[in-house]
This record gives sequence, structure tokens and C-alpha cells, in this order.
Amino acid sequence: MSIVPKETVEVIAQSIGINSLSTDAALALAPDVEYRMREIMQEGIKCMHHSKRTTLTTDDIDSALSMRNVEPLYGFASGDPLRFKRALGHKDLFYLDDKEVDFKEVIEAPLPKAPLDTSLFCHWLAIEGVQPAIPENAPYEVIASLPETKKPEQKSDELPVDIRLPVKHVLSRELQLYFNKITELAVSMSDSILFKEALGSLATDSGIHPLVPYFTLFIEDEVSRGLNDFQLLFALMRLVWGLLQNPHIHVEPYLHQLMPSVVTCILAKKLGKRIADNHWELRDFAANLVAHICKSRFGHNYTSLQTRLTTTLLKPFLDPKRSLPQHYGAVQGLAALGPHVVRLRILPNLETNLGILEEILRDNKKKEMTRHEAWRVYGALLVCLFLQNNHVLMCMWCIPASLN
Amino acid sequence: MYKHSMFARIPAYIFSLLFGLLVSLSPFGYGSMHLKLIYCILLISFVAPLQYSSELLLEYLHKTQSIMMLGIINEYIDFQVSPGQPSSIADDAEAFSLVGSGQDAANLINQKEIHWGLLEDSIEDRLDKTGGMLSDSEKTEGEAKEGEMDESKKKSTEGGKQGGPPNKKLKKDKVAGPAGKTARGDGDKAAAAPRVKPELALPTIPADVENSILEDLRNRVQLSNTTLPSACFYTFINTHNGLNCSTISHDGALVAGGFSDSSLKVWNMAKLGSIGNSGELDSAANENTHGSNGGKRSYTLYRGHSGPVYSASFSPLGDFLLSSSSDSTIRLWSTVFNTNLVCYKGHNYPVWDVQFSPYGHYFASASHDRTARVWAMDRVQPLRILAGHLSDVDCVQWHPNCNYIATGSSDKTIRMWDVQNGECMRIFIGHRSSILSLAMSPDGRYLASGDEDGTIMMWDVSNGRCITPLVGHTSCVWSLAFSCEGSLLASGSADSTVKLWDVNSSAKQPKSEESKTGNTNRLRSLKTLPTKSTPVYSLRFSRRNLLFASGALSPNV
Repeated sequence: MSIVPKETVEVIAQSIGINSLSTDAALALAPDVEYRMREIMQEGIKCMHHSKRTTLTTDDIDSALSMRNVEPLYGFASGDPLRFKRALGHKDLFYLDDKEVDFKEVIEAPLPKAPLDTSLFCHWLAIEGVQPAIPENAPYEVIASLPETKKPEQKSDELPVDIRLPVKHVLSRELQLYFNKITELAVSMSDSILFKEALGSLATDSGIHPLVPYFTLFIEDEVSRGLNDFQLLFALMRLVWGLLQNPHIHVEPYLHQLMPSVVTCILAKKLGKRIADNHWELRDFAANLVAHICKSRFGHNYTSLQTRLTTTLLKPFLDPKRSLPQHYGAVQGLAALGPHVVRLRILPNLETNLGILEEILRDNKKKEMTRHEAWRVYGALLVCLFLQNNHVLMCMWCIPASLN
Repeated sequence: MYKHSMFARIPAYIFSLLFGLLVSLSPFGYGSMHLKLIYCILLISFVAPLQYSSELLLEYLHKTQSIMMLGIINEYIDFQVSPGQPSSIADDAEAFSLVGSGQDAANLINQKEIHWGLLEDSIEDRLDKTGGMLSDSEKTEGEAKEGEMDESKKKSTEGGKQGGPPNKKLKKDKVAGPAGKTARGDGDKAAAAPRVKPELALPTIPADVENSILEDLRNRVQLSNTTLPSACFYTFINTHNGLNCSTISHDGALVAGGFSDSSLKVWNMAKLGSIGNSGELDSAANENTHGSNGGKRSYTLYRGHSGPVYSASFSPLGDFLLSSSSDSTIRLWSTVFNTNLVCYKGHNYPVWDVQFSPYGHYFASASHDRTARVWAMDRVQPLRILAGHLSDVDCVQWHPNCNYIATGSSDKTIRMWDVQNGECMRIFIGHRSSILSLAMSPDGRYLASGDEDGTIMMWDVSNGRCITPLVGHTSCVWSLAFSCEGSLLASGSADSTVKLWDVNSSAKQPKSEESKTGNTNRLRSLKTLPTKSTPVYSLRFSRRNLLFASGALSPNV
């Protein structure tokens, strides 16, 4: 007449040595056993509530047993739920796997980490009834998902959270095609007439504004990756030129992305793989480009642009360790910026630079390549000085004389 | 012989179980089984079955000619048949729990006279007398008050250097001060309550402490259903399910936690804030620093109990701390000297709850031995034993006038006792599960109780009736607290929320119960403040009406 079947009572009796328990006795014991179990559970639940918990643990049962003056049960601890394993050969017989542990192992095992000590934190749960959106408070979704307890007054508790969804940039099909085509051309067929046409359209088309960020990104990427590919670089520079020429689009916001790539093309140590690559031309072109950006288009708006550019260009110029093509690029860049720059920056350092060049040119043991480069640099210096500034020419004459 | 618990309620399904028992037992013939059954039926005072079940029972009894059974039923059992189909739990609000002595006896008890008013010379009265409002006639008092205001301003600027909530509390109350003063008396029920004389000899409060309390009362924020309180939450972390109870002192500065490893830890939150910012080592915080890593502990550890600590209570002035444990003792600690002062041995079973009286010096304890005891701090033996509950007493609370004590029990009733003669003055019946928390309103009129289902009930002390159940929590209600002017009730529960209820609308009895219960319920619950997986263990409104709550972070729950 109870939950506990009489077979259980008989099995338990057998386990403690009573083999001949009559069925009547088992039937009489079963309700008693159930009653005592319920009693212990009730006491255990009281202990659990007073420990401010809602899950019953073995400690609660132990306290309940001690309240009834019974010894606690040893060997059980609340932790993971008990894992029953199926007995081999039987369909529905399960047992608790009790592994034997060597004492030595237990003693010699390293001590587990001590648990952290209890501490107390303080935060505002509500300020005048409103919950602030601080990390210690429950997130907004938890508040929103209390439907059954939500009261109409709760609607006034709108958290001041501004959720901004990512902006979707929708490009029309035509624009996408256009962009893909141009980039393809730049990469592969930069000599073709098609590419020239494309550049022409870039320079004049008014509807390509949404593509500008994509173009700048493309240029930046390709320049950083393709320093070996001279053709590509030239094509990219032409692209930049085209973009700059277009009067309808605003390149200003993307200037900070374009400038580094252009300056790279001026000052890079090595542009292009082959010796035959005319990287001098590229550097000239890029220098003009930079000067154009600086002087005519954006120099007025951004006063620091020129100074920053000058500093960047000046650094390799002053550094004798940099390679000669870099010097060349620097000189060209500075020259393209105008006579003021030349006077302020190049002239003071002319002495040292010329000295270095002289040294290289005198030294016949140096490679032909280097000498060629040195001549190039010298030529560039001459040109910029000659074109920009006339009375310094007087001191310039003495140098070629010494070289000969 | 079985010894059935007398408080078992008989809803329809248990009744059918009983019926099934009868059916199965009858083939065995009369004998000891029947005697047992008779005994347990005798304990039942009445049964409220549904019509279908009662007809079934009577039909069977007639069929099997169980004349003896019929006789017993007619003599001892009072049937109250209600129409309808059997359901698993009786939903009617009239389902009473058994009290062993009958409903009539309970009514008789509830008709005794009870003086629920406030004490005559309470601090609030003194506040009114000394002119809570600025009055021209008492210029000296006004000047003194201005001096105090300046002092409080200075204190708050010093407090401004402290980080965290204490700083905000001072600043906020400085702003609320003038507003509080003018708005006082508006809907202040405590002022309207009748006055009674104290029955116990109460200790006097030293003058400077009284002044600071008066200051707090002047700066109190008036709460109502439109002005909700600010709540400061103290979260215990790394408790590893070991925190059994927590309590907050009356000014919110001290937090005590009782743990299942028999230790009691007290944090001084005001000092922690100042240490954190000024970087000075405070000697009091260095007290028990012989930790293994030699590091400074931020709490004071009180060791002495030999079992899990189930309850703790601060004295109203914050200088003493009481703790009760499963080793059936209550210990008194001094927060000033950080030592154990007294060990009170009287109970024989775990002491579930202990509470200081609102004026200090006296305290009450509730234990598993079905009694509550009243003690004084200077005597090791209890002064009164309040016996009458049918199961263990789970929680205990003092009435604001210290003349009555309310106890809640696992027999699903709440009893109210007179302290002077130990008599049971009221029995509040209505809960459907054991009562876990109690709170008395500051004007002494209402009693709120929370049980383990999440139901909160508001009772009128004067006539012993339930005014209204407040439904909303989904799990055990661990703690209840009334705001200082009695207009708001805060409840903290195991479902990790703090709910604020409007007492004024709860106090009005609904006219038609069926249609309006849903709507009126929504009106009464003002706000739900969810926490981040932290069941709320204790609540306290400070004297300035700032709500303090504490709980242990339980991320796996």
C-alpha cells in the first residue's frame, strides 16, 4: 500500500542478512519505510529552505538525520548527479560505478586550488525606481522576457540604450559591374585601350560616388601587396589620378587612405621586379600626384597636410643609409612641392648629400647600378635647383668640375 | 501507530486517496488497520470534498455495509460539500488549513483585543514635537538644526570623497532633505496610529545617537506609488552555495552573512568605501588578518558556532549582532570589540530565526522545537516560551510597539503573541505552504507574510483577516520589508527579483472577488527589479528610505 514495493523491502532485508522475511512482514514494513522516508525528506526540505536554497543537497539530508538523532550517511556528496551504469547481461539492472582509488595516489596527488574567498560587491539596483543600464544589472532582454509579471507601469522603464544596427550599403548591380571591370583591368590589362577609356570615365563620371571607398580600399590593398608588379603600380597610380581629376566626387574623406599608397610609390626601396622597370618614371609620376593633392586640391583645407608630407619625404632624404632610389624619390617629391620647400629643406642638407654622392661617384669600384642611381639623384637635385632657384646655381658649378 | 501530522490539508485529491485506502482496506476486515484509520480520521476536524467525491464515498459505504465507518464519519467529520468536478488542487480561497482545534477556536482567538498602535514616546513622536518643520517659535532649535544641516553638508562633502553608494546616498538625501521636511505628514500613517504604553522595560537611547537618528528621519525620502525608492544591492560572490542567511543593519552600513561552515562574516561597507579611496589601512579592518596569504581580509570573521548559521540580526544601533545556528544556540557578538559576548542555550533543536526587538535589548528566536522564545540580552534563560504552533516555527518578527510578536510556521499559519503573558492573540490562516518571511508595517496595522510558493499575503492585525494575496513571485519569498512610512512593501525572492508593492491599494478590500482579482493585482505591484541570477536573501529600508538588498550570486541557478 505504498510507493515502496515489497520486493525492495525483501532485497534490503537480504542485503543485511535476513534471508527469510515473510511477505506479510514485507508488506507491513513498506508503508512504514515510506513514512520515514517522507519524514526525513520533509525535514530535509525545511533545512534547505532555511539555507535559502531551492535544490535539496546531501547536507540537508544529513542535517535532517541528525535532527532525528540518526547517524548521517557516509559516502555521499552533492555534486554531479549519480551515474548509473547498465549491468552486463541484464536488460534493466543498473548499478553505481564505484571505482577503487589507490590511497597512495590520493595522498600524493597535488593539492587542488583553494576556492576563492567570499567577498561583497555593491551596486545600484535601481535609482528612484529606474534600473540603470550598468553591467551588474540584468540585461535588457531579461527584463523584456518577463511577460507574465510585466505590468503596464513597467513600460515607462525604458532603458536609455541606443542600439545601432550595422548600416547596409547597397550597391546597384551596374556599379558593382563597373567596379569589378575596372579593377580587373587595372590588375591584368593595364596597357589596353580599354583601360585608358576606363580611366577617362573615372575622371569624368559623376555617378561613381558610392564606389569611392571601394576604390580606395582596392588601391591600398593592391599597393601593399603588389610592390613587385610595376605595371600594376603604375595602373593604380593612374587610377588615383583619375579619381582625383573627377570633379563630381568627394575624395576628401578617403584621402587618408590614398596618401600612404601614393607616398609608398614614391619612397619605396624597390619598385618592380625587373631591372628594366622604369621605376624612376613611376616615382616622378607619383611625386607629381602628391604635389597635385597637396598644392591644388586639398592643401588649403588641411594645413598640416603639407607639413606632414614634407616630413615624410624629408626623412629618407636626410638618412644616408637609405637607398639611392629612395633619395631620388624624396628629392622629386620635395621638388614637386615647390621652391619654398626646396629652399627650406633641400638646401640646408645639400652639402652632406652631395658629399655622399661624390663619394659614390668617385669610387669606381662601386657597381654600375649604384653609380647610375647616384647620377640620377644628382641629376634630380640639379633639375630642382636649376628650375626653382637661380642664385644657388653659382655654387653648383664647382661640383661637376671636381668630379671631372 | 501512525502519528499523522495534524496540519495536513485535505484537498480533493487526498480525499480520494483516503477513499481509495478505505476501499482497499475493507477486505481485510476490522482490526488494527481500522483502528489506525479511525485515529487519523479523528484528527481531521472537517473535510471539504466536492460533490462527486462525497457521493462516491457515501455510495460505497452503503454498499459494503460499513456501519462502523459511517458512524464514525457522521460523528466526527464535518462535510462541507461544494459543487463541481474534482480538480487536483482546490482553488477556492476558502480552503483552510487544519489547526487541530477547529475553525471556531481560531475565530475565538482572533476576537481577543489587540492594541496595535505605536509606542507613546517613540522617536517619531519626538521628531514631531521638536518641530520637524521649521517653526519661528523655536528659533534656538532652528539654529541648532541649521548647525546640524551644515554639519551634514560637511559630512556629505567628506562623503563626496568616498566613492560608491554611501556617497550617493548622502548627496541624494541632502537634496531630498528640504523636500522631505515639507512633505512629511502627508499620508503618514504612523502619525495617525493610536498610541499605547510599552509593556516591557525598554532601554534608552544615548542623546547623540538619538540626534543622528532624528537627523535621518528628517532627511527621509517620502515614498509612495509615484516616488519609488532607490535600491542598493549587496552581492556576495564566491559563496559556493554556502551562504545561509544575510542581514543588513538599520543604517545599511554593516552586512552580515551566515554560512554553512558555521562562520559569520561581517562587512563594513562604509569603511570599505573609505579605505578603497584613501588607501589607508584601517585598524579595525586589520582585525583577523592571520589569513594564509597574509592578505588583508575585507570582512570580520566571527567563529563560535558549531553548525550552519541560519539567521543573523543586528541591534537597532548596530553595535550588537545575534546569530542562531543549527547547534541550537544563539550567540551575541559585539561589532565594536569583534568578540563573542554571550551564548544563549535554551532550545534543543536548530534555531531557524532570531530577531532583535525594534528598541534593542530584547530578542526573539524561532526553532524547530515548535516554540518561539523571548530573551533579554542580560539573561541566559529565556523570558517567555511561546508554544502553540503545530510544526516548527520558521520566522519571527516584532511588532513596532514591542508588545507583540508574530511567528510564521510550517503549519501554514501565522500566530501573534502577547509578550507580557505569552498568550496567542491571533491566528492567521490562509497560506498554502510554509511561511518563510514576515514583515510588520511601521504603523503596526498590517502584517505581510511570504511563503514558499511565492504568494505574499497582507493581513489586518486588528481582526485577523487576510486583506489580499499578492501574487507575482514564482519562487520562495525569502524576505519582506515595509518602507518607513508604510506605503510600499518590497519583497525579495528566489526567482532573483525584487518586487515593490503598493500598500495603500492593497489595503482596500476588493469588492467583487471574481472579476477584479486580476485587475487589482496589477494595480498593486508597482515594479519588478530583476537581478543578474542573484536570489534576494534580505531586504531592509534604511531610516532614510533607501532600500538595501543582499543576495548571493548563483550563476548556475
